[in-house]
Amino acid sequence: MVMAVSAVHLESDAFLVCMNHALSTEKEEVMGLCIGEVEESRIVHIHSVIILRRSDKRKDRVEISPEQLSAASTEAERLADLTGKPMRVVGWYHSHPHITVWPSHVDVRTQAMYQMLDQGFVGLIFSCFIEDKNTRTGRVLYTCFQSAQAQKGSEYERVEIPVHVVPREAIGRVCLESAVELPRILCQEEQDTYRRIHGLAHLDPVTKIHNGSVFTKNLCSQMSAVSGPLLQWLEDRLEHNRRSIAELQREKEALLRELAVL
Amino acid sequence: MIGPFTGLFHAARDPPRTQSAFMSQNTLRRKSVPATARDSGIDRDVFIMAASISGYTFSSVCYHSANSNSDHEGFLLGEVRQEETVSISDAQISSSEFVQIVEIHNHEPCAQLFSFYDYAGKINEENLNNVLKDRRKNVIGWYRFRRNTQQQMSFREQIIHKQLTQLLGVPDLVFLLFSFISTANSSTHALEYVLFRPNRSRYNQRIQLSIPNLGNTSQQEYKVSSVPNTSLNYAKVIKEHGAEFFDKDGVMKDIRTIFQVYGALQDKVQAVCGDVEQSERVKEKLQEDVNQVKQQIALRKRKTEEDRRLQESQIVDSTSTPEVSTKPSETSFMSRITFQTPSAPERPSTSPNPPSYTDLLSQGDNLLSSSSTPTNAALLPRPQAVGSPGHPTPVSLATGLSLGMPLSLGANPVNTPITPYLGNGDGSSSDSLDRQAAGQEDDDEDEDSSEYENLVSEGARLPLVPASALAQGRPAALGPDGDARGSQTT
Repeated sequence: MVMAVSAVHLESDAFLVCMNHALSTEKEEVMGLCIGEVEESRIVHIHSVIILRRSDKRKDRVEISPEQLSAASTEAERLADLTGKPMRVVGWYHSHPHITVWPSHVDVRTQAMYQMLDQGFVGLIFSCFIEDKNTRTGRVLYTCFQSAQAQKGSEYERVEIPVHVVPREAIGRVCLESAVELPRILCQEEQDTYRRIHGLAHLDPVTKIHNGSVFTKNLCSQMSAVSGPLLQWLEDRLEHNRRSIAELQREKEALLRELAVL
Repeated sequence: MIGPFTGLFHAARDPPRTQSAFMSQNTLRRKSVPATARDSGIDRDVFIMAASISGYTFSSVCYHSANSNSDHEGFLLGEVRQEETVSISDAQISSSEFVQIVEIHNHEPCAQLFSFYDYAGKINEENLNNVLKDRRKNVIGWYRFRRNTQQQMSFREQIIHKQLTQLLGVPDLVFLLFSFISTANSSTHALEYVLFRPNRSRYNQRIQLSIPNLGNTSQQEYKVSSVPNTSLNYAKVIKEHGAEFFDKDGVMKDIRTIFQVYGALQDKVQAVCGDVEQSERVKEKLQEDVNQVKQQIALRKRKTEEDRRLQESQIVDSTSTPEVSTKPSETSFMSRITFQTPSAPERPSTSPNPPSYTDLLSQGDNLLSSSSTPTNAALLPRPQAVGSPGHPTPVSLATGLSLGMPLSLGANPVNTPITPYLGNGDGSSSDSLDRQAAGQEDDDEDEDSSEYENLVSEGARLPLVPASALAQGRPAALGPDGDARGSQTT
């Protein structure tokens, strides 16, 4: 069976954002959309990802609403303008904390549905927080797949698609923007939940204080578990870049001197 | 239950009251534990170890590793703390347990392999200091990323580890090993990680590494209804005194306050992110500039060399017989065909005396150093990334290129994306996975010979591969440290 996609090339900075996102929580599946372009060779090139909110947080209900897809398309257009390349939504990714990397039946069906709109649409899954207590080994896995029916009307099955992480030494602007979106999204989710609760009129003051404290507690968790480490990583990266820049500057000057002599 | 230290506090028979005392220090302190044989001064049985690394640091290591063509290594910076947990129960007077906590805050990637040690594994302290600079005092361990290898330290790694332990003065230096493996068709990849403390006994060497995270973002803790209560007193008291918590709009003050904290933090994240983005672009541009200047230097050198040869041959021609003069140009023509250097689009085609193989080799060093800096190879996947069955033959690579990879390198198009592999992660990997899966040795004659041909044709590009390994015709058998397999001892 000839699939519409021959392989997926995931730029390493987009891969970085996926990993950050997948490792942000072990208690639920996270998801996002992949932005990029499909080449004539049927290789899907993913340049960046968009982190999404999950409205339905039930287990294995990783679905993207039409509104999210629409918003993502708008974002893709913005990226196209920014980079000068024809960008669009080319796939989706989600995480499988503590569970196998293979897509579930629901995942395969969801993927099949997206393929009806776009046969080049691909799915990525990141499996993390896999720990083997005996060997004290941890594991992170990632896979790429599409869906296909053996015959019309039969059950959809997973089709393996080769995926490679393409080196990119500098982190792109779009990826950085996506990375710092995560704390904002988490806070937004918390605010929305709290607003719904707060709107309930019949709660007595003690209950309201309780709920307010839950909000405070949850926001504190987000800050210490996500915002804080994110800020630290950004600072470390900045420092690392500054050192690299100084070295490169020295190297450039030395080379220019060498060139002048020749 | 989340958190890195879950399960560490053992339950005594009666429910104990536990309290932890934090003692921050870099060296370990024992508390009345029987003396054991001299080792690094640590009694193994008493201490439990826990280690953590942030998801962002972990991802960053994966990112740097993905950007390397070969193995990747670096240092782990952080803090080692000791916690004493005292459990008091009715059955015992008091028992304390020492928990050593290894917190990895940050990593310092090495730009290339062998940056602070040589082939024998001997560390050069000056180079080590150049790599670490002022971060040396924060080093608590080091890490290595390898492809398709086993989860144990290689001999060289052990040697390096011993020296690092001494030089850095960290008795319990840790070693984090990342091992990367892929399925034959490259659709699924696994990254395994194990944290070792090699200075301890054989039986106690591995520590579970946890990645603290948000854990449960469940919003089930919100109460949607109040506990029914008809007491008027209750309602009155909580209303009157509870009012303290709310502002005039009926919004909880704490909410506003914490939201402000969050807002300020997010603003800071945004600001630093902006700085990082700027620095990335500056770095990119500088890298491009450096590559360009290197190109120009190479071009200039070649030009002067060709001019020199031209002059020499003119002198020779004027004094020698015709037969002699045609031969050198023939052989050098042949060498030109066989030993094409990849990034030389500006090779002058009108030169009657193209550079000989030795010239290309010396140039190869320059080119290697220029293309080992990532920007050249950065926009191209590693040969095995092109979906080829495993052999990075020039044909399949050319096909890979024609598949429309974004070669927006400006004036520096790379014709063949061959990059030297110093680890096992060369193009043989997917095949070796197949063979490993089938339980066979990687002793396939045909395959090795084609890889050998590849390496010979890219001879200029692999100055770091020991000549003996090439002569064996088994580049695929190079161990993860670049040794020919036979020489590695365990």
